[in-house]
Amino acid sequence: MANVDSREAHVEIDSVRLGFGERDVFEDLSCRFARARITVLMGGSGTGKSTVLRMIAGLQRPDSGRVVVAGEDVAALSERGLQRVRRRLGMLFQDGALLDSMTVLENVGLPLREHTKLGEAEIRDAVHERLAAVGLHDVDELLPGELSGGMLRRVALARAIIMDPEIVLCDEPFSGLDPPNVERIEALFRELCHDRGLTLIVTSHHMASSLRMSDQIVLLQHGRAVLGDPGELATSGDADITDFLGADGAALARQIAREGHR
Amino acid sequence: MTDTPIHRLGRFGSSWIVGLGRIANFAGGIVLAIVRPPWRVQRVVRAVYDAGVLSVALICGAGFAVGMVLGLQGYTTLVRFGAQESLGAVVGLVLIRELGPVVTGLLVIGRAGSATTAEIGAMVSTQQLDGLRMMSIDPMHFVVMPKALALAFVMPLLSSLFIVFGVFGGYVVGVELVGLDGGSYMASLENAVGFRDDVLQSLVKSAVFGALLGVIATYRGFTSPGNAMGVSRSTTSAVVTTSVWLLLADYVITAFWGV
Ligand SMILES: Nc1ncnc2c1ncn2[C@@H]1O[C@H](COP(=O)(O)OP(=O)(O)OP(=O)(O)O)[C@@H](O)[C@H]1O
Ligand SMILES: [Mg+2]
Repeated sequence: MANVDSREAHVEIDSVRLGFGERDVFEDLSCRFARARITVLMGGSGTGKSTVLRMIAGLQRPDSGRVVVAGEDVAALSERGLQRVRRRLGMLFQDGALLDSMTVLENVGLPLREHTKLGEAEIRDAVHERLAAVGLHDVDELLPGELSGGMLRRVALARAIIMDPEIVLCDEPFSGLDPPNVERIEALFRELCHDRGLTLIVTSHHMASSLRMSDQIVLLQHGRAVLGDPGELATSGDADITDFLGADGAALARQIAREGHR
Repeated sequence: MTDTPIHRLGRFGSSWIVGLGRIANFAGGIVLAIVRPPWRVQRVVRAVYDAGVLSVALICGAGFAVGMVLGLQGYTTLVRFGAQESLGAVVGLVLIRELGPVVTGLLVIGRAGSATTAEIGAMVSTQQLDGLRMMSIDPMHFVVMPKALALAFVMPLLSSLFIVFGVFGGYVVGVELVGLDGGSYMASLENAVGFRDDVLQSLVKSAVFGALLGVIATYRGFTSPGNAMGVSRSTTSAVVTTSVWLLLADYVITAFWGV
């Protein structure tokens, strides 16, 4: 796995231990997320995918260990320091986390209204551009309660990228999406990452799309992380990995590795 | 862990004091957020509308009903001493000094306070506050401060409204129903009420109640565990805690005012 390790890490998790009450979620977790690459975090339900994203975002502090984001250890930062680092982050929460008293336009434009001097018209244009990128039109005046789950998640994604962050964290961006929209979001991720140099860290249950779009995969199991690209995972002899991929996943991974993905 | 009643009492006492410290710290955070720009005028106005304007009908109705009861009770008592001409003074003083601030306080706790706790609690459990943090927006400043400020601000206004409708309710019973002279009802009210001892005391009380409610209701929502059961517990606890503190504060203010 030398090719993955040799790339510059944009986010690095180093010997992290984290428990809730008596239960350890991570005993000794270490993994690296390369700059300008799409990394998909995979793993069964409850293995801690969302928790990894929350640690990177500084929303969850580990009991011990370091979480280095763009050169700063967020595990040791004050709230003020976190605010500074978060300017460079965008995050899509698993349930969207849109403000339910505000319309779509207000929600997506909120970071611009708070942190820039742009006028209403410019904000509206910027919002429309991001909404179009995620395949939404004419939703400005709707409230989050009036959106479907898939629309909600896409609006939240538009909000996550409105400030042009360096690093985008996406928790389950594909759940609740139909195949055309899965492809649209995949394409958007590739554009953000490969054309504009963003670092994407995505969690997903969606085996096919994960294998298709990822540059590297981090598989969480038993509080540890296994890192590799799809081909490496398919050919690894590890019983746990083979189990997780299943026969279909392994076949797909081998095929993607053969064709050279993308 | 040792578990005698004494130990338990000790643990309860120290956790209570720690909790008090946390609330005080939180209240300090709200004050800091008020003086720190941007001013969030729109959010405050919106919160005032939610907390205040939507409670107006309730407060008017309740004030009127309480005033009528005071009119009846006051009349039947006063008439025994031949002092029924002082009905206006009795109704007015009781409303201004006690029932206005206290009943309004309890009603607003149930109406707007519980809604505030539940709304902020729901925002915690749906990660809306974390979403704000990720946009480098401080939830204390964006969500908590406007709501707390609104509760503190509307309380004296609603209490005044309650008093006006209460006096009117007393008037309806005393003058229209029982047949006292309308002029002497109003005159006895005017003569009895002083600014410092009555009106100012009333305003100070309702302002203190409002501030208490603003801090406790938002604190309970902000610290509620992120699930539906946690939110409902926090809401109940906010209502109970604030009601008890309100009644205690009422006694303390009344005593210190030196009646
Ligand atoms: N606030 C919390 N309090 C207690 N336990 C928690 C908390 N947050 C997460 N956990 C525990 O941490 C573990 C990982 O949770 P996490 O949400 O990260 O899983 P996940 O991999 O994202 O699962 P899913 O695929 O279902 O979203 C779970 O076992 C969960 O019970
Ligand atoms: Mg999750």
